[in-house]
Amino acid sequence: MEGAMHADLGDGACAVATHGLTKRYGDATALADVALRVPTGAVYLLVGANGAGKSTAFRALLNLERPDAGRAEVLGLDVSARGPEARAQVGYVPDRHDAGPRALTCGELLRYAAAYRPTWDAAYADRLARALALDPAKRVGALSKGNARRLQLLLALAHRPPVLLLDEPTDGLDPLVRRAVLALLAEHLADGPTTVLIATHHVAEVESLADHVGVLRGGRLVAQLDRDALHRTVRRYRVRLADGREAQRTMRGEARDVAAVLAAEGAEVREAAPLRLEDGALALLQEEVPA
Amino acid sequence: MLVTLDPRDERPLYLQIVEQVRRALVVGSLRAEDPLPSVRELAAELVVNPRTVLQAYRALEEEGVVYVRRGQGTFVAPAVGGDDAGRRALARGVAERALLDARRNGLGAAELVAMIRELAAGEDDDGGRDAR
Repeated sequence: MEGAMHADLGDGACAVATHGLTKRYGDATALADVALRVPTGAVYLLVGANGAGKSTAFRALLNLERPDAGRAEVLGLDVSARGPEARAQVGYVPDRHDAGPRALTCGELLRYAAAYRPTWDAAYADRLARALALDPAKRVGALSKGNARRLQLLLALAHRPPVLLLDEPTDGLDPLVRRAVLALLAEHLADGPTTVLIATHHVAEVESLADHVGVLRGGRLVAQLDRDALHRTVRRYRVRLADGREAQRTMRGEARDVAAVLAAEGAEVREAAPLRLEDGALALLQEEVPA
Repeated sequence: MLVTLDPRDERPLYLQIVEQVRRALVVGSLRAEDPLPSVRELAAELVVNPRTVLQAYRALEEEGVVYVRRGQGTFVAPAVGGDDAGRRALARGVAERALLDARRNGLGAAELVAMIRELAAGEDDDGGRDAR
């Protein structure tokens, strides 16, 4: 049922795509034949355990990492040939917390970024700085992990790029600020068409923003589907077994196909409940879902 | 707050928003010709994708519960309030959830209804009163 897990999204409408993307570090495979399809305007959630390849994929999309095979495209630009053009269209929050040259103050770094970004929205940058309580006089090198993250988010959002690549965007932030950041992101999406790719461990906090999910396991993209397909094809089934006892099974596939599989085992479906996005994504991640 | 989402609710988010607006109309916290929050405001408040809010507002518009004034936003329709159709739709949502919960616990509809009657009767005895 691999086909059902990889909804056919086509190539043309994808703001971000990879084709056979493969990256090895010595014997370790970070990415294996990954075919990401992030439709234009989607909020795509990339989930995976530590070391599953999420950050490597992000760096490959910015041509900061050269793949061993395959290629990456941002807005139709092959990033290995047109990296600078592609990067100009992207707001990137990296997994690491170094926001920029340590000797600069935040204010200096922002003025510098404004000078290099033709689409920099100064009024929006000011509003974000206030909302995120960033002190412009503070030196970048002296920022706490959380404050560095706030600065990185401001740098990524304020030029209103068509594509956002957010690698653990709320990492290092306290719970109140996390929520404020996600609310800012929701506003940002309402203000203009943006394609967002988010990698995170905290699926619950972004699940209401996401409309697509990709699951990386050991460098392989084992599932990629939109929210409705996840809702429909990954469900928790309450079944009555042949001996009359009840059991719960999380299964993937169209309900009719799953019922047929269960019937062949002598189990009768009593109820099929959709899962929340987080539970569905985690189920796919844990490989507990027979297809 | 006009709308709150229940993270344990498995229904699509837009349906939860639709139901919460209906609820606000029935309890009277939202009345005819009142403005709804902008898509941007509600998306930020609930931390949901703005498209989800838009989807909910469109569904409510199709039902005739709200209407869009160009350039001004979304408003509650003039004739809408805590009317019978709204109450019925809201009751239906509550009943659906209760029924699902009952089935999950291995109970049938008849058992659920019987227990609700019993509980409601007990409340009346205790001086509790029906909401209507």
